[in-house]
Amino acid sequence: MIKISMIAAALSFFILISSSSVFAQGSTPTVCCEKTISGLYCQDVPAAQCDPNPNVRQVPTSCKATSYCKPGTCFDSNEGTCLDNTPQNVCNLNKGIWSDQAAPQCELGCCVLGDQAAFVTLTRCKKLSADLGLETNYKKDIKDEATCVASVLGQEKGACVFESEFQKTCRFTTRAECAGGLFGNKTKGDFFVGKLCSAEELGTICGPTTNTICAPGKEEVYFVDSCGNIANIYDASKVNDKEYWTNVKDKSEACNPNSANAGSASCGNCNYLIGSFCRATTRGTNQAAYGTNICADLNCKNTQNGNNYKHGESWCVYEDAGETGVSDNSVGSRFYKHICINGEEVLEACADFRQHECIEGSINYTGGSFSQAACRVNRWQGCTEQKSKANCENTDKMDCKWIGGSTIKCVPKNSPGLKFWEGEEAKSICGQANVRCEATGTKKPYSISAGERKWDWSGECVNSDGTISSSWKNEMIGICKSLGDCGPKVNWIGDKGYKDSYKFTS
Amino acid sequence: MDKKGQIAIFVIVALVIVGVILVIFAYPQIKNIVAPSEISPSQYLKDCISPEVKGAVDILAKQGGDENPVGYINYLNVKVKYLCYASGYYKTCSIQQPMLLSHFSDELERILTPKINTCARNLIAEYERRGFSVSSSAISSNVSLGSGNIKIEFIAPMTITQAETTRTFDKFDVSIESGIYDLLSIATSIVDYEATYGDSETTLYMQYYPNLKIEKIKLEDGVKIYKLTDVVTNESFAFATRSLVWPAGYGL
Repeated sequence: MIKISMIAAALSFFILISSSSVFAQGSTPTVCCEKTISGLYCQDVPAAQCDPNPNVRQVPTSCKATSYCKPGTCFDSNEGTCLDNTPQNVCNLNKGIWSDQAAPQCELGCCVLGDQAAFVTLTRCKKLSADLGLETNYKKDIKDEATCVASVLGQEKGACVFESEFQKTCRFTTRAECAGGLFGNKTKGDFFVGKLCSAEELGTICGPTTNTICAPGKEEVYFVDSCGNIANIYDASKVNDKEYWTNVKDKSEACNPNSANAGSASCGNCNYLIGSFCRATTRGTNQAAYGTNICADLNCKNTQNGNNYKHGESWCVYEDAGETGVSDNSVGSRFYKHICINGEEVLEACADFRQHECIEGSINYTGGSFSQAACRVNRWQGCTEQKSKANCENTDKMDCKWIGGSTIKCVPKNSPGLKFWEGEEAKSICGQANVRCEATGTKKPYSISAGERKWDWSGECVNSDGTISSSWKNEMIGICKSLGDCGPKVNWIGDKGYKDSYKFTS
Repeated sequence: MDKKGQIAIFVIVALVIVGVILVIFAYPQIKNIVAPSEISPSQYLKDCISPEVKGAVDILAKQGGDENPVGYINYLNVKVKYLCYASGYYKTCSIQQPMLLSHFSDELERILTPKINTCARNLIAEYERRGFSVSSSAISSNVSLGSGNIKIEFIAPMTITQAETTRTFDKFDVSIESGIYDLLSIATSIVDYEATYGDSETTLYMQYYPNLKIEKIKLEDGVKIYKLTDVVTNESFAFATRSLVWPAGYGL
C-alpha cells in the first residue's frame, strides 16, 4: 500500500516581475513632508518626494505627531465655517484660525432667516442674515437641525402693509419680520394674517397679475403680484378670481393637491416628493397658460435596467460577467450605483478591485416604495480565517459565505480584485487555495484478467481507478476562484484567460 | 424756366426747410439715441466686466478654484486641484485648501484686476469723449462672492463736471448674477465629509438641493473628481480628492 499526494496549485494570473520593488515600496520609510514635489501639503511620503526647498520641513515621523502638520479644525472667520482634519500650517497659510480641538466658534445653533432656518455657527448666521437684509436671529439653545427647522414651520404669514414714498405698499412676510423691521431697517408695518398683498380690502398699490415665479425654497409655481410678492399657487382657472387673490390658500386647497402636476399648463402645485419641481419653461418643455414657469418632471423613465425611478432614488447595477454575492465575480468587474436626478440617470462607480460593493434597500410608503443604494466597503479580508459558520455569516462584521470545506470553510461573498500582474500579494492570497490530498492505493494480489487494473484507490479526491475525482477538482477550483482574482476566471466581458491558471499534480 | 419747373423747385426747397426744422427739433433725441449724454456708470462697468468675469469663473471652476493649480490630477487635459488628499492607504485626507470661498474670490480678483482698471479708465475716457471734465485718482477694486451673485467694487474716486453740474463718485458697485458661491459652499461641505469620513453621500446633497447635480468620477488609485452642476444655470465647479483609499488585496 502506498500513499500519493495530490496537489492542486492555484496559479493566479500574475507575472513574477518587480516583486522586490513592491515590497520595497511597502517598507520604504516615510517622512512627514510639509510640501511635496507635486505641491501637496502635509503628506506622509518617502523623503525623495518632498519639495527640495530648504525651507520646507520634513521629519521622520507621522504628520499627526508634528507641530506644523498636526490636524485640527480650521475656522473661516469670513464665512463662519469650520473644516476638520486641516493641517495647522495649511490653515495658517490661508489666514484661517486653527485649533487642535473643536473651537467654540464652531458650535452650531439655529439661525432664523425669515420663514426659513439654518443650523450654522453664529458667524455664519450673521453673514447669511446680512446677505438677506435681515436682523440676526440666532438661537444657540437649539442643539439639532431637525428642531431648528421645525422651529420656523407654522409661522404666521400674511400681508405687511406700510408706507413708502407716500404710497401704501405691502410685503408678504411673517408676523415677526413685519413687527421687527423690514429690509434690515426699522420700517415696520401693519400685519394682516392670512391675507395676500393683492387683497383689495388692504388698499395697497399691489394687485393681481398673470405672472408666476419659482420662489426660493419652494417647490410650487406661485402667482406673483404687481409689487413682486408671491401670492397663491399658480392655478390658471383662478387668474381672475378675487378671492384667490385675497386670502392665503394652503397647498391642500390649491389645484390637484395629490398629483405631481408635471408638465401641467394650468396647475403649478408641484410636489417634490413625488417628482416635480418648479422650473422655467424652455422651448422643449410644455408651456404654461400664464407665466413662464411650470412643474417640471424630475422622475426617470425607462432607465438602463428598463425600470422607472423617482427623483432621488438610487439602485445597484452589476452588469459584468459573473454573479454577485456567490463568490463568482469576474476579473475587472465592479459595482455601480445609479441615481435618478432631475430626470437624468447618473452613474457612480463603487471602488475598483471590488473593495466596495453596492448595497440597496427600499422604504415602503403608502404611495409605493423608494429605493436607496450605497457603495460600502467589502469586508472580505477575514473570511478565510473563520472556522465557525456563525462567525462566517456574521454580517455585522464581515461579508463572507460559508462553504464548509475541509481546509477553507469560509470565503468572501464578493471575491476581491487583485493586482495579479505585479507583486507577490496575489500569489499569497490565491495560494491559500493550494491543497494536498492523500489517497491510498492497494495493490491487488493478482489480476483477474488481462487489462484489469492492479491497484484500488481510495480517498476523497480520487476515483477508485486512481484518477482525480472531478467533483473534488471542481470544489477546489471553486474555492480557488472565490478567494479573489484567482484560478480559471473570466474577465468582466466574459472572456477566459490564456491559461488554466491552476494545476493538479500527483 | 416754365411754371411747373418753378413749382417743383419751390416744393423741394420747402421740403428741405421742413426737414431741417424737424432735424433741429429732433436733434437732442437723435443725439441721445446715438450717443446718450447720460451714462449709467455702474451699467457701463457691468457691461464691460461681465464677459471677463464669466470667463474667469469658468477657468477657476474647472480647476478646483485655482488659475494655476499645484497639487492636481490631470483629467481630460484639465488640471483639477486636490482640495483634500491622503497619500497611502486607509487614511482620511488632509484639507489642502481651506477657506475655499475666500481663495476663489482672491483668485478671481487677481485675474480681473487688469480688466477692472481698463474698464474704469474706459469709463473716464467715455465721459471725456462726451464733453465732461473728469478728475480721478488711483483705481483699486474688491471682488466678493455672495449667494446668487459676484460683487465687484470699483474703487475709482472721480469727479465729473459739465457746465455747472458736478458729480462725485467714490466707488461703483457692480453685481453679476452667478451661482458659484452656492456651489463652492456645497463643495466645502463635501470636502469636510471626505476629510472626516473618507467619502460623501452625494444623493443626500442632490435630494436636498433640487437644482444640484453631483457627478463623482472615480479614477485610478482612489482618486475622485467631483463635478457639481446647477442644472438650471448650467454653472459647475469641479475638484479632486483622495481619501480613505483601500488598496487591491491587502495592500502589502
